[in-house]
This record gives sequence, structure tokens and C-alpha cells, in this order.
Amino acid sequence: MRLPAGTRDWLPAELRRKRAVENALRGVFERWAYAEAQTPSFERFDVLETGIGETLADKLFLFNDRRGTQLALRPEMTTPIARLVSTRMREAPLPLRLSYVQPTYRYEEPQEGRMREFTQAGLELIGAESAHADAECLFTAVEALDVLGLDDALFDINHSAVIDGVLSTLGLNVAQAAICKGLISDRNIVALRAELNGMGREQHADAVVRLAMMRGRFEVLEAVRPYCTSDTSRAGITRLELLLTRAADLGYEGRISIDLSLLRDFSYYTGFIFEGFVGEAGFSLCGGGRYDELLPHFGLDAGAVGWSAGVERLLLALERRHSNRFGEAPAIDVLVSGSDVIAARERAAGRTVRIDFDRQSEATLLALARAQRIPRLVIARGGEIREFDVTW
Amino acid sequence: MVSENRAGLTIAIPKGALYADAAARLKSAGIELPADPGRNLSVTAGDGTRVLLLRPIDVPAYVEFGAADCGIVGADVLWETERQFCELSDLGFGACRLVVAARKADRYHEGAQLPTFLRVATKFEKTAESYFAERDLPVQIIKLHGSVELSPLVGLADLIVDLVASGSTMRAHDLVVVDEIATSSARFVVNPVRFRVKYAAIMALLGRLDPALAGA
Repeated sequence: MRLPAGTRDWLPAELRRKRAVENALRGVFERWAYAEAQTPSFERFDVLETGIGETLADKLFLFNDRRGTQLALRPEMTTPIARLVSTRMREAPLPLRLSYVQPTYRYEEPQEGRMREFTQAGLELIGAESAHADAECLFTAVEALDVLGLDDALFDINHSAVIDGVLSTLGLNVAQAAICKGLISDRNIVALRAELNGMGREQHADAVVRLAMMRGRFEVLEAVRPYCTSDTSRAGITRLELLLTRAADLGYEGRISIDLSLLRDFSYYTGFIFEGFVGEAGFSLCGGGRYDELLPHFGLDAGAVGWSAGVERLLLALERRHSNRFGEAPAIDVLVSGSDVIAARERAAGRTVRIDFDRQSEATLLALARAQRIPRLVIARGGEIREFDVTW
Repeated sequence: MVSENRAGLTIAIPKGALYADAAARLKSAGIELPADPGRNLSVTAGDGTRVLLLRPIDVPAYVEFGAADCGIVGADVLWETERQFCELSDLGFGACRLVVAARKADRYHEGAQLPTFLRVATKFEKTAESYFAERDLPVQIIKLHGSVELSPLVGLADLIVDLVASGSTMRAHDLVVVDEIATSSARFVVNPVRFRVKYAAIMALLGRLDPALAGA
């Protein structure tokens, strides 16, 4: 009776915490005027293939229906939402703000923080291309971690055009730049230096290595600016400046850093990128960015920016922190014995009712109420109704 | 907030062949370790830095799961793990080569035809597998844990994949290098999340371990 690898059960106490975290996130999404949407757990493979990068395509659970149509469990939510927006919501006024809290599936080697079935909670801001949309994307994520009590979470931000600008200024071709970006993204400085030397860029190796290891605020942008000669990379720097400035207005300046090596899946993101994390967990808790090329693949000419968090990862981080903010069991308000009518009345009043259907003795019921921390007991026997306040 | 001071750092280093050089390098960074680690499992330096003394092969696990923020480990150990680290510096010491070797008498090093199905003995299962796979050579990898150089002499394997430092062990057993797969040396590796959370402390340590990167 074993579970498939990478899946898990949620016992009531665990599920209670999970639901509480999900609902706290939903609260943030709603307060920012994002409306929740839901899509099927599986999609046609050709739809998913259009949206996801190669890395994710290798991790799909694939299967066929009886007619032989190739299907796949969704490995993330952005592509299904993009399909939804470009089909049934095509006429909706832009910008469109959508959120989701849904299970997703990836064929991964299971390890801590990486399961084959996991829950993504996130949002998409569609049809808004400005830097202010990037800011909304980032700040919703900061607030989301704040409401969970992870209010010291750090956020690294970057713009994919910046490192592209640096590598093209060095005169690297597309293939060489892709190799360097992979190594910068892994922060494999040793191999990066070796590759740059092998590409005949010894004289620039120190500078690129320095940029790849920099983390900070405006000083990082000043350091990289001389290497950004293209319009797109300069525009990227301007956008990051705006983000830092607006973050400072909100008091986030100590928590948001520029990290030029943060590249995530660069076949997918076209601009602003970010990740959020805390020291207790060895993986990022949430991340996202701008993906202006996705919706055009679905025939809708609109840019978009969004992020998602792994709910199970958030729960792990909270557990590490011994946070029991979401551990409270819902209280039972009243224990009712012998009357469906009274029980129904109590429920109608919004109270949580536990029913004793064994017509147990008063002493037994009082002991039960005490043991279960139920503050009231109502016993109805042959027309007589007795009520007790229970203390412990 | 997570504190950003140097005293908070935990560094995993290998006992064994790399220990003396690693300790010397840490000493130049202001972290004093005993000349002989003896049976210590961890040492707290004067400045509060905690140093974990581990079997080389265990360093990656400690760093990956964040029990240590960073570590010193041979590249040869990293090849055999699939873990994700920031590999920030080649510290240069502990240099050795990973080679394919065979009995001199088999003359493979002079181009003699290899058997159609190779038996390869090694401690470096993954690296050896991908080396032969890239060359479309069907092989049986035989995982050994020590004295790999014995295996071709007693007919257990046609080839070995093993580390060579000076080459004296190989010569003593009449083995010759057929091909070089990679060179290894000690690396400074960091947990990717800790790199961000303890950025200032890690960059300060890196600058002292690898003066070429100082000020980076």
C-alpha cells in the first residue's frame, strides 16, 4: 500500500495548515484585486508545449486518452492561464488580474521542497507592459510572504536584458552567450572563467565574474551600466532603478537586492525576474517575472508578468521557523446530545457543533467536552433540555 | 533579520588529503585550525566561525542542505554529485587528474584495439559512465571503493578510471594513462540561498581565500 514517489497524504492537522496558508495568500490576491481562476489538471500536450520551456517539457507526466490524443498534467499554471486568457477571456478588458491556487505536477527526483505533486499559488497581470506592472508583481509577492509571517524574506531582482547586454557588448555570439548565461545562473564562477578564457575573452573575465557575484542595490546598476550599450539593456537598468526606488518608499529597501546572476528559465522570461527566499530553506519560496512572448504564441498580442509560490515550500519554511501561526485547530463551540433541532439551530447561528448520537450519560458527555475543550454542552432527553458551561 | 556577520558562518572542510592545505588557506583568512584534526568533528575558531571536519564525500550534502553555509571540496567529489552549488573559486591546491588507465602490456595507450565490451573499474561511477557514453562505448562499470589499480592486474577490469597525482602508484603497478578525463583541484562552494542571505560574510571570506577575487 505505497504512495507513488513524490506524492503525499495530508492528514487533517497538516491540511488545516495548508488551507490556512492558501487562504492567507488568497486574501492578498483579493486585496490587490486579482480574481481567482481554475483550469483542468491536464491539458493537451500541444498547448503545454507551446508555453513551457525545454526544461519543463522534460518533466511532464504524459499520457494518451482513448482516442490517442496526447495529454499532460500541467507542470505550472502560467501556460494554462495564458490559454484561458487567449481563448475564453479574449475580449476581457486589459489589464487583467488573475490568481490561482492549484496542484501542479512534475516528474522530478523527489527531495525536500520538490515533490511530483505540489501546489502553486500565484498571480498573472496580463496586458500591462510598464515597469509599474513589474513593481505590482514584486510587491504582491512581498506582501504575500509578509502575511504568512515571513516578513524578513529577501527578494532578489534582475532584468534579463542586462546580462544579455553585457555578453553582447563582449561580442559573444548567441551560442556562447547561452553557455555563459547558464554558468552565471548556476553561479559556477570557476567554469565561467574557464569558458570566457576559452572564448578568447580573458581580458573581460574578471569583470564578468565580478558582475556575476555582485548583490546590492544602486551600486550594482552603476557597476554594470558601462557594459550595457544596447537600448534594451539600458531600458532594463532603468526599470530596475524604478523598482528599487518604489521599494524604498514602501520600506522594503533592506529586503530587495539586485542580483545579476538571477536568470531563472531564460528561454521564458523576457525582462524583469525575481525570487524570494528565507535563510531557513535551501530553495526559493516564490519567483516569477515578465514573459511578454508567451501570449503572442497563443495569438494574443499582450505582455504579462506574474509569479507563483510553492505552497508546500512555504509550509516547510514556516515549520523550520517553528511558526504555529497556522496551526490552530478550529474550535468546536458546542456538544449536542439528543436533539437534531437544537443542533440545527446552533449551526444556523454559525457555531461549530459536534453531535453525540449515542445518548451517553451526562457525566460521560461532560468528561468528553472537557477533554475536547468544548465550552458548551446541551443535552435533550424527553422534552427536557439541560445546558452546561464546560470549564477545564 | 538573519544576521550578516562573519561569526555566523559554518564552513565544511574535508579531513584527509586536502586537510592541511585547506587549514593553511583558512589560517591565512584568519581562521585557526589545529594542525591535526584528530577525532574532532567540528572546531569553533576564535572569531566564532564554525568549521565542520568531514569525510570529503560528505561535504556536498552538508552544503546543499545548509548544515554548512559553504565548504572546501575537491572537484572530483563534485563530479559525482548532482547537487547544485555556487562554485565560486578554484583554490588551486590538491591538484590531480582523473584518467583512464590500463596495463602497459595491453598497449591500449598505443592504440591497440579495445575489447568490444569493456569492463571499467572505478570509484567515479557517474563520471566514468558519461565519459564512455559520450564515446558510444558499451561498458560495464564496476564500482570499487579502494585499490582500484589492482583490478586490471587480476583480470577484474580492462580499464580503470582513477585519480592520479604524482603518477608513482600507477608506475609501481605497470599501469599507463590512456586518456585524461579532467583535472581536479580544491573548490570553494557555497549554498545558493546562503550566498544571498549571508552575502557580505561569504564575500569577505572568499576575498581572503582567493585574493584574485578580492573586491569582487
